[in-house]
Amino acid sequence: MSVVIRTEGLVKDYGHGTARVRALDGLDLEVAAGEVFGFLGPNGAGKSTTIRVLLDLLRPNAGRVEVLGTPPRVGGPAQRARIGYLPGELSLAGRATAGELLHHLAALRGGARADRIASLAERLSLDLSRRIRALSRGNKQKVGIIQAFLHGPELLILDEPTSGLDPLLQHEFLAMVREATAEGATVFLSSHVLSEVEVIAGRVAIVRAGRIVDLDDVATLRHHAGQRVELHFAEPVAADVFAGIPGLSDIEVEDRRLRCLLRGEPDALLTVAARFHVTRWSAEDRELEDLFLDHYRMPVEEQEPEEVGADVR
Amino acid sequence: MSAEPTTRRPTDTPLPGPPRPGAAPVLRWTVRTHLRTWLGWGVVLAAVSALYISFWPAMGDNQEMQALVDGMPEALVTAMGYDAIGSPAGYLESTVYALLAPILLVVFAVGLGAQLIAGDEEAGLLELESAGAVSRWRLLAESALALVLVTAALAAVVGLVSIAVANLVGMDLRTGAVAGATVGLWLLVLALGNLSFAVGAATGRRGLAVAVGSGVAVAAYVTNALAPLLEGGEWLRRLSPFHWYLGNDPLNEGLGLPGAAALLALALGSVLLAAVVYDRRDLGV
Repeated sequence: MSVVIRTEGLVKDYGHGTARVRALDGLDLEVAAGEVFGFLGPNGAGKSTTIRVLLDLLRPNAGRVEVLGTPPRVGGPAQRARIGYLPGELSLAGRATAGELLHHLAALRGGARADRIASLAERLSLDLSRRIRALSRGNKQKVGIIQAFLHGPELLILDEPTSGLDPLLQHEFLAMVREATAEGATVFLSSHVLSEVEVIAGRVAIVRAGRIVDLDDVATLRHHAGQRVELHFAEPVAADVFAGIPGLSDIEVEDRRLRCLLRGEPDALLTVAARFHVTRWSAEDRELEDLFLDHYRMPVEEQEPEEVGADVR
Repeated sequence: MSAEPTTRRPTDTPLPGPPRPGAAPVLRWTVRTHLRTWLGWGVVLAAVSALYISFWPAMGDNQEMQALVDGMPEALVTAMGYDAIGSPAGYLESTVYALLAPILLVVFAVGLGAQLIAGDEEAGLLELESAGAVSRWRLLAESALALVLVTAALAAVVGLVSIAVANLVGMDLRTGAVAGATVGLWLLVLALGNLSFAVGAATGRRGLAVAVGSGVAVAAYVTNALAPLLEGGEWLRRLSPFHWYLGNDPLNEGLGLPGAAALLALALGSVLLAAVVYDRRDLGV
């Protein structure tokens, strides 16, 4: 399987002297052809910086980067013509209409697939005759999506793509991503909201302070996140009945109700629960958000013992 | 709406080949975006030039005016360039070619030069183009070309209006000299506009570009006007782009080639240097 995006030890600093800020601190990435790769992290973690290095808007201070087999510095316009890019904060202004802007952007690529502008606009219900400066945020986002998908690029780089879109359009957008991948496109999807990438991403990298801190497929992350399970029984049950069940934690029993966190298969829990009369049950996937928070909570937890110790004294 | 997703890409549409850049897409878009403003400047320049030239019968072609100027302190007359205000060429130079047109056009060109790369970059408007299938050299070259063309067009407006209105009010001018002075005016404006454009492209900072462009313009104007009043100030005057433009007495003698060459060198040199920096630096897009 060929690699579409590869970075090794990518370092990027902003500013000079004492105002120097390290945005990327040895970032390693490998995105294979045809996958939908989620790139997650809070604002300021280095997501947009990474994307701008991939597009040759920024030049890294150290490390290697290859996109579609070529360093962006070398690939130039011919390489970027094979990429569709949706910026995270899309700034559009001017008296020109949305249609004129889209034709202009298509003309930069030699007019490739400009014939599709009208059909894509219809699909996203964008009025091409509206002036750009009069467009709402959601409509500007539609312009951004159309220009990213227009030329059927091999690589889609999408930064916070569904922000500003209503649920119906989010659905349409996801359909467009799926169609693009069905035709072999690779998708690099950046977001600070996990639910945005969870539905379509295969693998997810979590970036923090310019480094990748976790990399897994969504199913594994989902497994780590677990499910919140709640069971109601006809009679009160004892808590120790459920102790020792594999994958079960955070067990709370209150009269006739069991609440717990389940990671892995529910079989063992169900076998035990079946000894009683179960009146109600619910199992909810924990948001990947919770797992995400676990990552960021760690340093805080490390500090807690010190504070406790001080209180005791 | 997802009933027929597979029909999204008609299979009979040919796959895009390698990108063939259309005819100057960045230039065409820049013109499209700014055309209304530029037309407005054209109207203002034409009106102001016509207005001042039409005062000739009352002001310049009149012994009292020359007498008034003769009575002014010599230093003031030199500084204001009123030496020959009683002649048609002298009047046209003092009012339009050495004063109103360069001031208005330099304000225009310095502002536009700072806007074209740096202003758009600060506003985030260049992101899609910079990340798109166009090289930095091409983006810069086509933006610079827009500045070249619009300043040429506006200088031509001044030249054509001057010749036409001068004819109407019976001023005796050499059309060739006016044409030469118009080319000189264009080169002056282009040099200062390009300087602002170059600082903006090299740094991405619009405010700095305006400051450098207008600072150099004011210094050049003041140096050209006041250097003759200083003892041995002639060498200082030779550093001024205004002197490069006006030093040859263009409305009588036509454009001086050394001055024109110096203006052209400043215009081209600043943009070439900027292109080298722009190609290497980080873009704030």
